[in-house]
Amino acid sequence: MRITQICVGCGHCKVFCPSDAIETCGVSRINDKCIECGKCKGYCAIGAITEEP
Amino acid sequence: MKVAVIGGGLGGLLSGAALAREHDVHVFERLDIYGGRFTNLPYKGFQLSTGALHMIPEGPTGPLALLLKQVGAKVDIVRCKPDACLMKKDNTQISFYNFRELLSSSAQAKIPALFMKMLIQKKGTVADMVWNDPEWLALSDSCCGWALSTTSKDTPAAEASGILKHVIGGGPGKYNTPGVPMGGCKAVVDALAGVIEANGGRITLNSKVDSVLVEDGKAKGVSVNGEKIAADIIISDIGHKLTSELYDAGLLNPKYAAVLKKVRPSAGIKICLAAEEPLVGHGGVLFTPYTQRINGMDEVTHIDPSLAPEGMHLTMSHQAMRSSDVQNEIKLGLQDLKHMFPDKKYSVLLVQSYRDDWPVNRIASGFDLGNLAPVKNLYVVGDGAKGKGYIEVEGVASGVMNMLDMLKKAS
Repeated sequence: MRITQICVGCGHCKVFCPSDAIETCGVSRINDKCIECGKCKGYCAIGAITEEP
Repeated sequence: MKVAVIGGGLGGLLSGAALAREHDVHVFERLDIYGGRFTNLPYKGFQLSTGALHMIPEGPTGPLALLLKQVGAKVDIVRCKPDACLMKKDNTQISFYNFRELLSSSAQAKIPALFMKMLIQKKGTVADMVWNDPEWLALSDSCCGWALSTTSKDTPAAEASGILKHVIGGGPGKYNTPGVPMGGCKAVVDALAGVIEANGGRITLNSKVDSVLVEDGKAKGVSVNGEKIAADIIISDIGHKLTSELYDAGLLNPKYAAVLKKVRPSAGIKICLAAEEPLVGHGGVLFTPYTQRINGMDEVTHIDPSLAPEGMHLTMSHQAMRSSDVQNEIKLGLQDLKHMFPDKKYSVLLVQSYRDDWPVNRIASGFDLGNLAPVKNLYVVGDGAKGKGYIEVEGVASGVMNMLDMLKKAS
């Protein structure tokens, strides 16, 4: 999973991430705890999360 | 009639609930959740929010409460007491109604003239209205920033004047002051979704509307995930700009296209805090005129303790974004909190920023474009199509009421 540059930092993805793999402060970043479940993508308000590397 | 609603935010759900009794309503929501920027985000036992700070600006007597009642959505909205306080430079608080205490005698002398201007001034900005006086600007920036995510310099005086009239409402003792929906924002959108579904309407999640189908200048339906769905009326809750991208650009009249290019969203930052001991100390709004960035705070767990784990408080600050350097804006906000509560223990649960395509308002307050799109049978609701002179969700409700009036007249 990757968060693209259009992220605004609303924090939806962080809240719904089951593995605490997202840090949010201004923008969001996925850290190495990510288990690639893809849940964050469904909650991203602006389509900023992609499965592409 | 068949009604297709694009977007399940507050405006879309209010519209759907209002129309579901008499029409076949289908709400299409792109995300896994409905509610847009007006629902809860459960996190570590707290009910954070997607946008709004679990407050309804005019409480149980404003347009949102009225519309909820009209559509049969049962929500318990509890008026905040005190409704608002001001934080002084020494970090103590006074009632908002004692704001004179914060002003020098020369600034106090301007009060009668200012009240007159607030009631009648139609031109210029709030900054003009307060003579760009630094003492008054501190107060007006705090109010504009908290309520609208704008500064005094970019808030039209007419909008502020309209808001004041609506808040003053029925006169002393009958002010339309803030309230908290019990259960938070989600209680409101869940009640609306319940009304839609109870009347045979549908809300489909994970459904992205790709385009509005137009024939001979009239909207005839929507394409959802590639499937064409016919509708007589289309109501969009995704703002004027994104809505305009769903139909042929050739349908845009030059005036509307020019306005769309000109309007700007308003941006803001919310900092969500967890605290065992209260920080704000009451359930009303705490305006903070003497900070670097934070405009105001609330601690709604004094009214609805279920929004935090037992024995904890959920405290939220809000600030208008004053520059595009979001990291610096957040840093200044966090510094403000340290300065305001130097001896208090709290932890930052989440910092949320709202800008660009997910802003506080898709069009800054006072510049809303109304409900009409340049395609017949297509209406826009939500932020960017708010009624004039209302704060945030009250404006959304007022805009939906305006749209419903238009529909009635059209039929």
